[in-house]
Amino acid sequence: MTLYGQAIISGVLAGGLYAMMSLGVSLSWGVLKIINLAYFSFILLAGYGSYELATSHGWDPFVTVLAVVPVVVIVGALLQLFFEKVKIGEFESLLVTFGLLIMLESVARSIWSADFRRIPSTANPYASSSLKIGDFAFPTPQLSAFLTAIVIGLLMKYLLDRTYFGKAVRALAQDRDMARAFGVDHRRVAVILSGLAAATAAIAGVFIAMSQALFPGLAVEWFGIVFPVVILGGLGSTLGALGAGVVIGVAAAIASVAWGPSYAPLATFVILIATLLFRPEGLFTRKASV
Amino acid sequence: MTRSSQSQFLRGIILLVVLAMIAAACGSSTSDTTAAASPGTTTAPNTPDTTAAPSTPDTTAAPSTPSGDPIIIGSTLALTGFLAPTAAIHKVAGDLFVEQLNANGGLLGRPVEWVVLDDESVPDQAAALYERLITEDGVDAIMGPYGTGTITAAMQVAERYGYVMPQHTGSLTYTYGYDCQFPAWPAGRNPNITNSNLVFDALESTGTPPATIAFVINQFPGTMYVAYGQPDTDEGGAVSIAKDRGYDVVLDIQYPSTTSDWGPIAAQVRDANPDFLFLGALGVDGPNLIAAMDALDYQVPGMFLQWPAPGPMLGAGPSADGAMSVTAFEPHPPFTDDPAYAAIAQAFTDAAAAAGLPYTAFETQASASWAAWQILIAGIEGAGSLDQAADCDYLLNNTIDTVFGPIDFDPDQNNYYGDLSYVKQIQNGDWVVVWPANGAPDGVSVQYSPGG
Amino acid sequence: MNRPTVVRLTGFSVLALALWFLPALQGPLGFPIFYLLFGYSLLFWFAQASSWNMFTGFSGYFSFGQGAFYGVGVYTTGVLASKQGWPLIAAIPVAGVLAAVLGLSLGFVVFRLRRLQGEIFALVTLAVAFVVAAIARVSSTIDGGSGIALNNVQLPEFLGAYPSMMFRLGLIIATVTIFAAATIQHSRLGWGLFSINDDEAVAESLGVPTFRHKMMAFGLSAFFAGLSGAVHAIQISYITIEDVFSIRIPLFVIVMSVLGGMRHWMGPIVGATIIHTLTDRLNRASDLELFGGNVTVSLDHLNDIIIGLLLILMVLAVKDGLWPRLVRRKWVGAGAFIVGILVARLWAPEMSLIGQFVAGELGAVVILLPSSEVIDRWRNWRSTTGSPDAPSDRPGVGASR
Repeated sequence: MTLYGQAIISGVLAGGLYAMMSLGVSLSWGVLKIINLAYFSFILLAGYGSYELATSHGWDPFVTVLAVVPVVVIVGALLQLFFEKVKIGEFESLLVTFGLLIMLESVARSIWSADFRRIPSTANPYASSSLKIGDFAFPTPQLSAFLTAIVIGLLMKYLLDRTYFGKAVRALAQDRDMARAFGVDHRRVAVILSGLAAATAAIAGVFIAMSQALFPGLAVEWFGIVFPVVILGGLGSTLGALGAGVVIGVAAAIASVAWGPSYAPLATFVILIATLLFRPEGLFTRKASV
Repeated sequence: MTRSSQSQFLRGIILLVVLAMIAAACGSSTSDTTAAASPGTTTAPNTPDTTAAPSTPDTTAAPSTPSGDPIIIGSTLALTGFLAPTAAIHKVAGDLFVEQLNANGGLLGRPVEWVVLDDESVPDQAAALYERLITEDGVDAIMGPYGTGTITAAMQVAERYGYVMPQHTGSLTYTYGYDCQFPAWPAGRNPNITNSNLVFDALESTGTPPATIAFVINQFPGTMYVAYGQPDTDEGGAVSIAKDRGYDVVLDIQYPSTTSDWGPIAAQVRDANPDFLFLGALGVDGPNLIAAMDALDYQVPGMFLQWPAPGPMLGAGPSADGAMSVTAFEPHPPFTDDPAYAAIAQAFTDAAAAAGLPYTAFETQASASWAAWQILIAGIEGAGSLDQAADCDYLLNNTIDTVFGPIDFDPDQNNYYGDLSYVKQIQNGDWVVVWPANGAPDGVSVQYSPGG
Repeated sequence: MNRPTVVRLTGFSVLALALWFLPALQGPLGFPIFYLLFGYSLLFWFAQASSWNMFTGFSGYFSFGQGAFYGVGVYTTGVLASKQGWPLIAAIPVAGVLAAVLGLSLGFVVFRLRRLQGEIFALVTLAVAFVVAAIARVSSTIDGGSGIALNNVQLPEFLGAYPSMMFRLGLIIATVTIFAAATIQHSRLGWGLFSINDDEAVAESLGVPTFRHKMMAFGLSAFFAGLSGAVHAIQISYITIEDVFSIRIPLFVIVMSVLGGMRHWMGPIVGATIIHTLTDRLNRASDLELFGGNVTVSLDHLNDIIIGLLLILMVLAVKDGLWPRLVRRKWVGAGAFIVGILVARLWAPEMSLIGQFVAGELGAVVILLPSSEVIDRWRNWRSTTGSPDAPSDRPGVGASR
């Protein structure tokens, strides 16, 4: 049963990364009512930034987080500020961020060409390394991503439950107008929240660069990972995204071993359908929480 | 600002922006395109004897400047989308070819322009764009796109209008029934049979072949074809050939092209513990699986990858040493014994570097592209005209000189001409041809043993 | 049938009939054959965008599932016409019916549940698209991962050579789809959908049979999406799961409908025209010559940036779509269109017809963009204190109403 055990571990860890990739879209759509496809670009550009620093300047891939995250956070916050100023509607946000996605993909292509970019193992020892516990291996990038996702999840939970900011966020998610009537500054909350979400996207990008190859068209390929997580986890829920990521990762892993990797997507989507039939607000949300 | 002057200001800005857009729309008239030099292009190759159209290698005269109305060759490439990484190589190769062609007298004495449109890696775009190139832009000739799906779509359009279509990377050989399509990928009509036999021959040449093999195949049509044969036939592919040759197949799984978690697959391979892994890989599947297996502290004694991106494999660490793949040309002797091709390989490397590509070797993909162009030009020069029927006839009835050697298109084999591929292997940190021996440099041979 | 419907029916039939003979005029008028195929692709987008909009635009229920219905249509042709040897003509209606069945089944489950509105509904429909793709990938009767090459399909040759045939097929499907959208809009069903859009609870209390209306609209939307997909399979000629079920079609129909205007059946037409002609003409990987060749700009990497920017600008400036603006200021719009074409002919005399058309439409867009809504946005931007949210006219998804 080492086979199943190892596969499940792999699925769980992968789920953490999926969750981090999805958090931006989930929070944005759930709390701010903005469908922000630009998060996919943030992940990609963060990954490219990490790649560039690690490959051409010899930075340790983990350390690139320090350089990459602030940049993406600023961009994310500025974008949200822009949305606030133009009073963007829901459909509009989808289309505008789609336009941004197209543009940023083109920028990536101009700088790094359309070809694959992978940090060579000489600059990135982590892709092949892992933590061993007994018979089981926990690959380093995935384990780090998972642990980071847990930390972020707990942090968000703390923020949401124990701070005024969190209360403001939850209030906005429940009823925007009432929240404003009670003095919640929508703009400040939105900008801070999107900054946080952008940070998680950037961190996800760094871990992706650490474990995979990048190319400009990759951003669009992530739709098939992020949207199932968002659906399962419930819009706006951080721990929900984490849970959903893990469920998806594990289901795919088990299907992969039991019936072959070609069945992995089907397992994910069967869960999706079941969830939508029985608990469409997401597996992990309480009906009115964030 | 008052409201009306505010709105005037706004109108002004918008007007300016959109006038720029109108200018852009202006620019899409085809007759104004400049010669097809890609931006930031290359230094000119420094060997004045380089023949870009070696069908008649007797260019004794000094190359003259081409003159007259340009000949326009149209094609699409996957400049965006999931096929873009490798299509970028074909863009560089094509640009270089045309540049050298023009530096050496052009085609039929006229300069050549290559018009490339973006098919976004999707077949319906490719079909529509080829229709546009042929019937709206009225191109004089066409070159095939990159990628199996787009090639199939383009071929239908080419057939409808009777255009010669050289194509460099189509993998579904059994579907290419059009008489005037000319495949440049030199793996023959039956890669499902010849490809694996080649690999197994190579393994057996070491004297210590594997006993057990695991097959892990990407669900892309081309890789499925090589592994399992044509769907709905019992032709067989790599898996059945392995069994016929006496290997024990201990694992046979397929994975979606969009696989993002390689852990379970790595675990299954480790569990099967094969002597050899046959990975029907595309793109970066190889490094991904190798990293996942490394994380399990598990290495296979040897592996073969179908069509990997070669660059990332070189950066995949020590476990990637000894990995094999197929190729048709590598930039080392004996392929570069011909100074003309050595020069082309160098020029390509320079051009690729200038275009920002991370891996610049003139190998399989680039050489297939080069061959496709050679075929196209040979047909036109051989027939002496741009009449597509005449060009097609010429190609079908003559031996064409290409980077892969002389080629005779066999209409009974969908114009394929046998398997000219080689097996390459990562040795000492670089790809080198190891089998058959006539393609390997001195002293290089297949390195494999089940002991790892 | 009441009089407006008769008028509409006559108008559509006459237009369709006239266009039917367009391919025959290709020789005499001398335009490139490509224009027929371009016309087909335009008609394809008309059908897709209209079919999507007739449900989402009218009812306000944000469906992200266009890909599922389109995909069912495409693969029906693939399986029936290619693998099973049915003639294409027979496969098309089956495709529509299958897509409709999928839509109705989904609707039956989803519309009964009050909580499946807004974002959740969007995600449900998106999930369905994923699931259909996964099923098709796993089942080797359908695709099995190897894709289907459609080069052996029995095509309706009596409709003409390939581009003419595709044009006419596309014409039939687009005509019926748009006619359906127009008829729905002006019918009781349409009235019901709009009232659902504005406030479903109130609509129900007024006696609007919301469930029935939503089912009908959703089913029809799926039906036409499937029909159009079935024909498009031939154009794709080699269908694979990744391509057919990608996010491209769902996203583009949204772009087109939003841009053109979602509350009127002409909206998707206008939006599809602008987006498709623009993206077609901006598809170049070579250099751009301005002013007769004196200035050369490398467009290689700018194409997508231009498209992205244009999209953003248009979406931000166009609150409820271009169609209402066009209607309000039709003479100004028409005039700008003509001016645009004239300017193009002056600056680049060899430009193709399509290019000139693009120049014209850009001219019209320029003139129609600035409006009071844009001024409001601009002023909001410049103000440092946030002003109260402007209520969105656009059918939002659970947006603050």
